[in-house]
Amino acid sequence: MQRGYWIRSKPLYDSLVWQTPAVAHLVVAGGEGGIAVLKLFQQMYPKDPIQVLYADLPKAEKNYSDILQQIVLEELDICDSEESLLENLEQRLKDCTMGTHFYVAGSEAFMWQVLQKTRAAGVQDVDVQKELCGTLARPVYCVHCKTITRDVHHNVFPCSNCGRHLFVRDHFSRRLGAYMGVMVDAEEPGNIPQIEEVYP
Amino acid sequence: MNTPAFKKETFRDDYTFRNSREAIRRFPFPFAEDEYMYSVNIEQHVSTNPGSVFEHAIDIDEHYIAECEDRRLTLERDPTRYIALPHMMDAQWDMVELIMDSLSTDYPQWFELTKNGDQWHWINKPLEIDQTFTFGDTSTLPMEPFEYITRQVQGDWIIMDHRDDDLFADMGMVTSQADWSIAFDAGMSFKEWHGPVPQANEIGIFDRALKYLLHLQYGSPVRRLNWTMTVNPRLDTSPEEFPLWGPDNASVTPENVGEKVYLRVELQALFRLPRSNAIAFSVRGYLISLDELITYPKWAKRLRRVLTNLHPDLSEYKGLDLYRQTVIDWLEPLEDGAELGLGTQPE
Repeated sequence: MQRGYWIRSKPLYDSLVWQTPAVAHLVVAGGEGGIAVLKLFQQMYPKDPIQVLYADLPKAEKNYSDILQQIVLEELDICDSEESLLENLEQRLKDCTMGTHFYVAGSEAFMWQVLQKTRAAGVQDVDVQKELCGTLARPVYCVHCKTITRDVHHNVFPCSNCGRHLFVRDHFSRRLGAYMGVMVDAEEPGNIPQIEEVYP
Repeated sequence: MNTPAFKKETFRDDYTFRNSREAIRRFPFPFAEDEYMYSVNIEQHVSTNPGSVFEHAIDIDEHYIAECEDRRLTLERDPTRYIALPHMMDAQWDMVELIMDSLSTDYPQWFELTKNGDQWHWINKPLEIDQTFTFGDTSTLPMEPFEYITRQVQGDWIIMDHRDDDLFADMGMVTSQADWSIAFDAGMSFKEWHGPVPQANEIGIFDRALKYLLHLQYGSPVRRLNWTMTVNPRLDTSPEEFPLWGPDNASVTPENVGEKVYLRVELQALFRLPRSNAIAFSVRGYLISLDELITYPKWAKRLRRVLTNLHPDLSEYKGLDLYRQTVIDWLEPLEDGAELGLGTQPE
């Protein structure tokens, strides 16, 4: 949302497409990310082993576990929360071999939680396809108190930890999985620009 | 060169930092022309002009002790200004070697290094440090090697890992930065890290700079100058502490502009490291108040012209918007319209 120029650290997301050949495919989705999985299964899909992990999420406007159970005939695990999905993923990553392709879909906060797990297992970010689904809400790192607030919808918001009003920049850290938030009225206290829901 | 005594001064609270006449004369004024735009203004980092900031690979000046102390204070408040990702240990030792070798060779009156195989003996007289350690054995130093040595040198240091035809900011000691955060940017690729810089991407600066740096050779360091402005001689103008120094940007008046506003020039040098194949990026800042700068009328006129012609995106990015016009107006009486020759020299 910075005027006039594009910040190169801002991740761009694609549509999921099967990457072949591969040793195996691991698909991880949460909440509205289910639609990306359905789209994936409308493509002519590979003969290599496929695993799908999915979690219905309370914040999602629509969840997909029922329909996925009918469509996905391969190994499908429905988890009851993001936490249990991440635990499940951590276990599965131990058995993944080189040559496995990864597919992640959901909100940005969800995807970068998943990326923390894959990275810890030695998977490079470039080997993980990502599709943003449902919401543009952003995870934002407060550069002052170093806390990440998930699912930020507004250009300016109060930090969930220190309460400062933070401006959400497009600058993104893959290591932290978050955008940078900087105090918006540090120069002139109380001078807060109009707050708008720019990440619905 | 007559080496000045190290000054006792502060870069926060009461801000007692000042430059001596000698420090003003050797200030690395960055503007060779009346207009400024980003360029890949890289040159070989070879010794030029005895007494200048370019004489030695790492410049030690009258502010050495005070700057090391300011770094210590900043790290005490916020240890995350130092970060080293786990795969950077070879580069940590590379940095110990680079800094100890340079300082002991260039300033034998202050620094001594004796090597007996892996047994090294380091003496830093200004900071009163006497350390014997085994090179390559972290347990023989009081802290990680890169933190240990960068606490004893001025300027910020970012070490970039070279892989996949890219450079990743995987290690850094950053306590005197122009509003960027190593805690946030650690691990970023070259273009991600520089993502927020306006206008430069559009004219291909980072493509060319990255291509150039990927071919940087061991033993052939390079350098460039960069600049911004700061209110008060504050080294720690970090985003982390923005709530602390941000209000200063709104405190400049026609009466105090000469003493409050500082030109901040970065001498950036890049060194290929021999073991890790990483690249060390040193960002050494020099501060000069406008009162000090106008000692040389040529600099005063040049700065005024550069600020007048500055692209608005750069002005915003460098955080000058609140006081740039005040500076231009204050410098106005010194402007005589004379043509200034190409070059940065004071006279």
